[in-house]
Amino acid sequence: MSNKINRRDFLKFVGAGTIGAGAGFLAADVSKMSTEFLIPQVNLPEDYSPGIATWYNTVCTLCSAGCGISVRIREGRAKKIEGNRSHPVNQGKLCAVGQAGLNVLYNPDRIKTPLLRDGERGSGSFRPIGWDEALTTISGVLGTLKIQKKANNAYLLSGAVSGHLNDLFALFMDQLGSQNYLQHEFSYPASLYAANKACFDEDVLPYYDIRNSKYLLSFGADYLGAWLSPVHHGVSYGHLRQGTGQRGRCVQIEPRMSLSGANADEWIAARPGSEGMLALAMAHSIVEQGLYAGADAGDWQQALAAYSPASVAGPSGISAARIVRIATEFAAASPSLAIGGGAAGASTNGTANLVAVNVLNFIGGNIGEAGGILFNPASTFSIDAPRPRAGYQEMLKLFASLSGDDAEVLILHDTNPVFTLPSSANVAAAVMAVPYVIGMSSFMDETMALADIILPLDTYLEVWGDSIPDPGVGFAVASIAQPVVKRLYDTRSAGDIILALAHQIGGELPANMPWTSMENYIMEMWRAVYQGKSNDSSDHGFRKFWLSILESGVWGERSPQQARPRQAMSQAMLSAVHMTQPSFAGNESEYRFVMQPYLSLAFQDGRGANLPWLQELPDPLTSVVYNSWVELNPKTAAELAIHEGDVLLIESTVGSLEAPAFIYQAIRPDVVAMPIGQGHGNYGRYASGRGSNPIEILAPETDIDSGGLAWSATRVKISKTGRRVHVIKTDGTTRDLGRNILGPGHGHA
Amino acid sequence: MSTVLEKFKKYRKPGYYDKFDYHWTMSIDLDRCTGCEACVVACQAENNLPIVGEQQFAMRREMKWIRIERYWEGEYPNIKLQFIPMLCQQCDQAPCEIACPVFATYHNQDGLNTQVYNRCIGTRTCAVYCPYEVRFFNWFTYEWDEPLEQQLNPDVTVREKGVMEKCTFCIQRIRQAKDAAKDDGRRRVRDGEVTPACVQSCPTEAMVFGDLNDPDSRVSKMARNPRGYHVLEELNTTPSIVYLKRVHTDG
Repeated sequence: MSNKINRRDFLKFVGAGTIGAGAGFLAADVSKMSTEFLIPQVNLPEDYSPGIATWYNTVCTLCSAGCGISVRIREGRAKKIEGNRSHPVNQGKLCAVGQAGLNVLYNPDRIKTPLLRDGERGSGSFRPIGWDEALTTISGVLGTLKIQKKANNAYLLSGAVSGHLNDLFALFMDQLGSQNYLQHEFSYPASLYAANKACFDEDVLPYYDIRNSKYLLSFGADYLGAWLSPVHHGVSYGHLRQGTGQRGRCVQIEPRMSLSGANADEWIAARPGSEGMLALAMAHSIVEQGLYAGADAGDWQQALAAYSPASVAGPSGISAARIVRIATEFAAASPSLAIGGGAAGASTNGTANLVAVNVLNFIGGNIGEAGGILFNPASTFSIDAPRPRAGYQEMLKLFASLSGDDAEVLILHDTNPVFTLPSSANVAAAVMAVPYVIGMSSFMDETMALADIILPLDTYLEVWGDSIPDPGVGFAVASIAQPVVKRLYDTRSAGDIILALAHQIGGELPANMPWTSMENYIMEMWRAVYQGKSNDSSDHGFRKFWLSILESGVWGERSPQQARPRQAMSQAMLSAVHMTQPSFAGNESEYRFVMQPYLSLAFQDGRGANLPWLQELPDPLTSVVYNSWVELNPKTAAELAIHEGDVLLIESTVGSLEAPAFIYQAIRPDVVAMPIGQGHGNYGRYASGRGSNPIEILAPETDIDSGGLAWSATRVKISKTGRRVHVIKTDGTTRDLGRNILGPGHGHA
Repeated sequence: MSTVLEKFKKYRKPGYYDKFDYHWTMSIDLDRCTGCEACVVACQAENNLPIVGEQQFAMRREMKWIRIERYWEGEYPNIKLQFIPMLCQQCDQAPCEIACPVFATYHNQDGLNTQVYNRCIGTRTCAVYCPYEVRFFNWFTYEWDEPLEQQLNPDVTVREKGVMEKCTFCIQRIRQAKDAAKDDGRRRVRDGEVTPACVQSCPTEAMVFGDLNDPDSRVSKMARNPRGYHVLEELNTTPSIVYLKRVHTDG
């Protein structure tokens, strides 16, 4: 490279800066930009100009919603993440977690080189090694298994991944000769999938059209907080409230007020697990009042006979009159929508609860209607292998096989089951029982610490990929991920690692996985999509298409809603409706309180706890930062003489933990709640040693129909330890006291 | 002292700012706001707000130019919670401005309360005078753990110990929009060309930002909404933030 630069060249470089801004394909050039030279900008990339920001579109993978993001780049560094305006999921908006993605990229605790265990398993002692050594070692282990025809003793457990990385994982394991590829995520709503399968024979989640609804009745689903696709729901909620002349009404049924509950017009503190019974009682009332239009009203009358509002009032704690009133409002509003999730789906009768919510929607005439439940079309992508997402039962099965004699190798990708599963599952013991454990992650965590070898991953802002949002938005959409900055450390993407391993293992693998890199793989797969859709096999045509989808970050295809035969659906729902009483671990006399752990808005299942912006983000409902807390009703607290900051011992039938008390105004007196997210032992400087993890003490109860973890089915007892701590929060006086802060004539003392 | 007061009176004449091009205003619709705090992190990222750490946070020295306040009404089970985002109200008659002995905080021609960091001598009087409690003092020069400093926004100053700071309505974005308008040969910034970070991020579009001098701007229309009010209106600070009261239906 010539270090001579004359004035004319210099002007040319600066002038070129505005050309191509936003054209994503140049990201690779930017990322190759060297900072090691004295004059690094001699060969200035075309789209790069000092002092002028460039925006690249990619996709956020910090939760499963799949929002499109635009990242602002200045001088090769990521400065700000905003929502991608042309993305149908988030429409230019972004949540607190998505904004904090820069803390992932620039986190000081990232793993910077491959690590080899250096000491006892689980001691957490590692030494850095080179990539060649790491990949040779791993391909040697996997290659040997393949030759010995024992590859089925290799297991791949991944966090939630969709799109082509999921396909690549599936293909790799298949080529290796193993059937053992699973995805684990704490918030995977197994019961919601099971309920929709039972009612509609759908494998993907439907689209809940909150935007166009006029009456939103939520059974435990915190749609504005941590349920499915919060940013999309937020956009829709704004429209529901003030987007049209007619303001939509929101009603929330849940034992502990969530963010969605706080925003609802009416919050109903039903007993945990009784949500489904309430939904059926409302359906009963609608049919009884003759507001159900179907010809089979008689069948429904019979099917719902056992769930009269009067009979449900007792078990739910909600008066029959109130049930009837909500049911009447729900039937009168058009369109109306009932959704269910969160704790309602995580009881022992979770699937039954959510089936009941679907029934209520059906009786209310909201299925297939705008403002109700719309179905996502079958994927129009030739790719998109089904995701092998595991519920709790399947995870237990996996751990049993891992603990058995045959298991040889476990590959962990971006998942932390030691933290996100109850201690009774003995995850750590199962992982330790496997002779060889390979970790792939950007961060050290409780599970990665048990590995023999760790491959450091690029963050989501440094990789090629794509994702398919789940739930969809009513039509087929895929987002394209591209690197927005040069990678910071000696890391690689999971796709590149898998492809490198395939090449080194040899056999038929290189022929069946011929791609040279993840970038090449993604591009070839999209070439197939393009050719399939356009019948244009020219390279020029594809290039043009590829550049346009990189630039916009998203590709979609609208398809008309398929009408569903009402009669058949009615029959399917009639046979799906069932109800069992919820059961709880621990007897009520000794374990007085039902424990409601909930997904923290900032930390989700704990993965966000290592981001300093989120540690310092006040919890929206309590304003607490930097610690765990356990929420008690003021009456309960007064009865037990508990004050804010009293450290409580919380015991379930399987374990105990300590956390300071927080007096929460909107929770049933027989329920205590705790946010999930803190309590990490080994997750970097910002997360480690803070608070406690309520998942640990959950009893191994499952939803009987789906096998998902019933994380809302544990009873606990609480006692004071005698110690007190200062609960750090931003709130001062939380009553208006006549100051009219919320508007004239609003405040009550 | 008397000259200061005279000068102040002259500049505080009602309608003084109408002579200028812009009167930046924000409306916040409390019927849309869900309290999700996307704005809080957006502001943190855009404006180089430091992480103060657990110990300093416990001493109420947090740095959050925008925060969500919570107000409860009633008792369980008939209990309601309502959120309200609180940030510098960019008052037209700002109590903080008369407090500053060194004119570090002053009113600019667009109607913003601006804070000149290198004039500030750290008396903290402005924070005492502010009824909205939205001014924040740098008790230390905060550090960013390497390489988190690579995220810092180059368009925004990193403040140091002894300096007061607060929301600027993302003045760097206003400047950029004005520059772009000038480059285009336009005298004025078009409605919607400036969005502060908090407004940009808001999923429910509770916040609208724009120029109140333009009667057709979105924010002017919002400000005319009958639900509109100012917080602590009786103090006569004439804030530039118009809140739209939440709609209450019984239940």
